[in-house]
Amino acid sequence: MIKEIIMPKLGETMEEGYLVSWKKEEGEKVEKGEVLFEVMSDKTNFEVESPYSGYLRKKLFQPSDEAIPVTTVIGYITDKLDEPLPEKKENVEKEKAKEEEKEEVEIKKEKKEEEIIKEEGEKIKITPVAKRIAQERGIDISNIRGTGPGGRIEKRDIEKYIESSKDIEKKYEVIKWSPIRKIIAKRLTESKKEIPHYYFQGKFIMDQVALIKEMKKKQGNDFSYTDFLLFFAGKAIEKYPLIDASIENDEIRVYKSIDIGLAVAVEEGLVVPVIRNICQKTIEEISEERKTITKKAKEGTLAEDDLKGARFVISNLGMYGVENFQPIINPPGVAIMGVGKIEKGIIVIDDKIEVRKIMSVSFSFDHRIIDGSYAGSFYNYFKEIVENPSILIL
Amino acid sequence: MKEITYRQALNEAFDEEMTRDEKVFIFGEDVAIYGGAYGVTAGLLEKYGEKRVIDTPISENAIVGTALGAALTGMRPVAEIMYIDFIGLCMDQLNNQVAKIRYMFGGKCKVPLTIRTEGGAGRTLGAHHSQSLEAWLIHIPGIKVVMPSTPYDAKGLLKSSIRDDNPIVFIEHKMLYNTKGPVPEEEYTIPIGVADVKKEGKDVTIFTYSRMTLFSLQAAEELEKEGISVEVVDLRTLLPMDIETMVNSVKKTNKVVIVEEDCKTGGTGAEIGMKVIENAFDYLDAPIIRVAGADVPMPKSKVLEQLAIPDVKRIKEGVKEVLK
Repeated sequence: MIKEIIMPKLGETMEEGYLVSWKKEEGEKVEKGEVLFEVMSDKTNFEVESPYSGYLRKKLFQPSDEAIPVTTVIGYITDKLDEPLPEKKENVEKEKAKEEEKEEVEIKKEKKEEEIIKEEGEKIKITPVAKRIAQERGIDISNIRGTGPGGRIEKRDIEKYIESSKDIEKKYEVIKWSPIRKIIAKRLTESKKEIPHYYFQGKFIMDQVALIKEMKKKQGNDFSYTDFLLFFAGKAIEKYPLIDASIENDEIRVYKSIDIGLAVAVEEGLVVPVIRNICQKTIEEISEERKTITKKAKEGTLAEDDLKGARFVISNLGMYGVENFQPIINPPGVAIMGVGKIEKGIIVIDDKIEVRKIMSVSFSFDHRIIDGSYAGSFYNYFKEIVENPSILIL
Repeated sequence: MKEITYRQALNEAFDEEMTRDEKVFIFGEDVAIYGGAYGVTAGLLEKYGEKRVIDTPISENAIVGTALGAALTGMRPVAEIMYIDFIGLCMDQLNNQVAKIRYMFGGKCKVPLTIRTEGGAGRTLGAHHSQSLEAWLIHIPGIKVVMPSTPYDAKGLLKSSIRDDNPIVFIEHKMLYNTKGPVPEEEYTIPIGVADVKKEGKDVTIFTYSRMTLFSLQAAEELEKEGISVEVVDLRTLLPMDIETMVNSVKKTNKVVIVEEDCKTGGTGAEIGMKVIENAFDYLDAPIIRVAGADVPMPKSKVLEQLAIPDVKRIKEGVKEVLK
């Protein structure tokens, strides 16, 4: 029997994935549950296990930087080595039919960006010589306006384009989009386009936290300020649950568990692993988990579950000396916190000038569901518990 | 360099080749006493005698069949079919015997046969005496088809045709006999299968041959004044076609107009165009344009006859169309 291997949908928002590698060769025997190939999506790699036992008969795709839509057949597994394989054409047609079906279901949904580009690509009229020159020079013809009959791109149009881009060409080098950058670009552009952001800036006085931090250190627990912020954010969100809500499929979802994402810089870009059920965890547990996921992120070994479902996110740039920045909300979340540096500063308390450890913080909120007063109350409470942790136990 | 007519140039070629090689003889209707329907062979009977310049009965089939027999026995006959319109009458000899005999006998014989004929419109001779049937001939493997446009080419190519060991159909144009052009005093030949860039240009290439070369050159000259630089390539030999020269020109200009007098449908231009696409597709910057004869029997009326074949105006329009 012939079984199809498809590009799996590894997350609710996953529309396409990148084939990173095959773990088996064509003709090789494969057992159900063995790792068959590796896929990159939503900023991380997943090893995908074979759903069937048999022989990997055909790889329809090779690892590349090209995105493959989910459910696309990427290969075949057969029971026997000599079973005839379906023609590729049939497969393509089948895919087309599937896609059309999908489109019907999602008829109201806007067309995917890539589809639009593809359609435009098919429509571009270009003469053979112009096409050849464009290919030789690596020119993207979608940037060129044709002046021939019916908008056909002619040699003169290419030459004009080359002439006009000559000076610039020498001054820069072109870096290829990596899959992770494509994903980051797409998601954050959507976020900034879709979400009506507004921003808060403030200062948290960190002396109390610093005291506890010192104390804990003496006890042998090395917590970071981020660990404390995760802990306190959980408590603040418990009181203001909309902060960790999400907008998915046009629904405002408020989750039963408070899960906080932590933005972690990795070599190629940025990932957001999630610490779940944060309110049920002690600061020791949070710190442990934070260390584990940060390490995994740096090593590129985060699992699908580590990354799923980030909503409220904390992004800390304090270690770079950044005072303040306005982070972009990570969809489907509706709020994000930006953490700046901690430094000693002068502050007036009870008409006295005091020197305190001050941390710059900022927040971005989605005004569709979080209004300023709600966000203000959240901010105020968050600040209060960070500055006076004893509130939590009294 | 002297200026002589196309007719005189052909006559000189005969004279020189008949002097050079006594196996060369002329064979056809009215070629001897009358000197040829268009006077090409005038004076040759007197000079070379009736054994080498021979009038035949009105039978194209017999002319070509006899000439083939002579060629097979080692002679170099130049047979004349007075009008290309009559070529159908000898098509069996031409297509089934002349073109194939060397191949079918494993190369054991040579066929050094030249069949001269003449075609084209312009003298209001009507549907039976004005056709351009070269497309029929280029469909026959085993022969070569030559169509010179100038006195210089006519002389050089006729001499090469006579010396060639394979059958050649040499097609003249009735409107070219009186055209004049420079021809060197000294002897020369022009290789068969080599096109000639009659005028260099950079914006558009016109591929043409025979009389349409002259029209194309005139159109190119007029377009030059409008700032359009046209390259005129005279193919001279239609079979085999000079792909190299064609491709080089397309590489330069990227735009092609084909000018042909024969009927557009299934015409020589279709073959020229496909050769361009097969060999230089990646250099094309516009669809190829054909300026061709109308798909009609040639009208007798002077006005209609002119409408049925390309003229300078239509060639200019074709060039402008491809540049749009």
